[in-house]
Amino acid sequence: MEQSFGRNLDSLAELFAFLKGAAQNYELDERTTFTVNMAVEELFTNMIKYGSGGDAAIEVGLDREGDQLVVRLVDTDSEPFDLNALETVDTSAPLSERRPGGLGIHLVKCLMDEVNYEYKNRITRIRLVKNL
Amino acid sequence: MFEIQRVSNSEIKLVGHFDASQVATASEVFDALNESATVRFDKLDYISSAGLSVLLYTQQRLSKDGSALTLAGMNPHVKLVFEYAGFDQIFEIV
Repeated sequence: MEQSFGRNLDSLAELFAFLKGAAQNYELDERTTFTVNMAVEELFTNMIKYGSGGDAAIEVGLDREGDQLVVRLVDTDSEPFDLNALETVDTSAPLSERRPGGLGIHLVKCLMDEVNYEYKNRITRIRLVKNL
Repeated sequence: MFEIQRVSNSEIKLVGHFDASQVATASEVFDALNESATVRFDKLDYISSAGLSVLLYTQQRLSKDGSALTLAGMNPHVKLVFEYAGFDQIFEIV
């Protein structure tokens, strides 16, 4: 299943409706559905924040491949933002030293089994795998 | 669907789906809070890092006066997110 979404927060309602349909189609359990919703929201909003400022749509696709759910996000007009090069979030820091930056990507890495990032010719491709 | 209700001076109730598009709505209620309060999660199905950031900012602001948020009634999926974020160490979760 695949769909394109406008790069703004108003698209989130449509995005979650798409993910709900995919969850029903692939018979995902409640926990996996929650996990996928969160991972896709974090990466989608990241693409909006760190995009080129253009209005290219963001493509989101989900496929069930045996015992794995594969999620793809593609931004065809983006600046490089390597998810794997981000500083690690210190989840044991005291309250006063906590910062929200990087938290979303940290959660994606915790919740998904594989996170792959590729950037070429202004195109960002993110591939996530969740073992079912 | 997302709703936030200031039930009393010391209680806030979250309902539904707290995603990045709801930050302004939630911040309006949390920013008006100036004392310790319990946040009820019983009817909250979903929260992303955008929601966590609103709570973090509020906890940091309140802590300057010795106040704090207590988070209550989370479902297991939401609770796991708080644990992965290490927020179980900076919030009392009951």
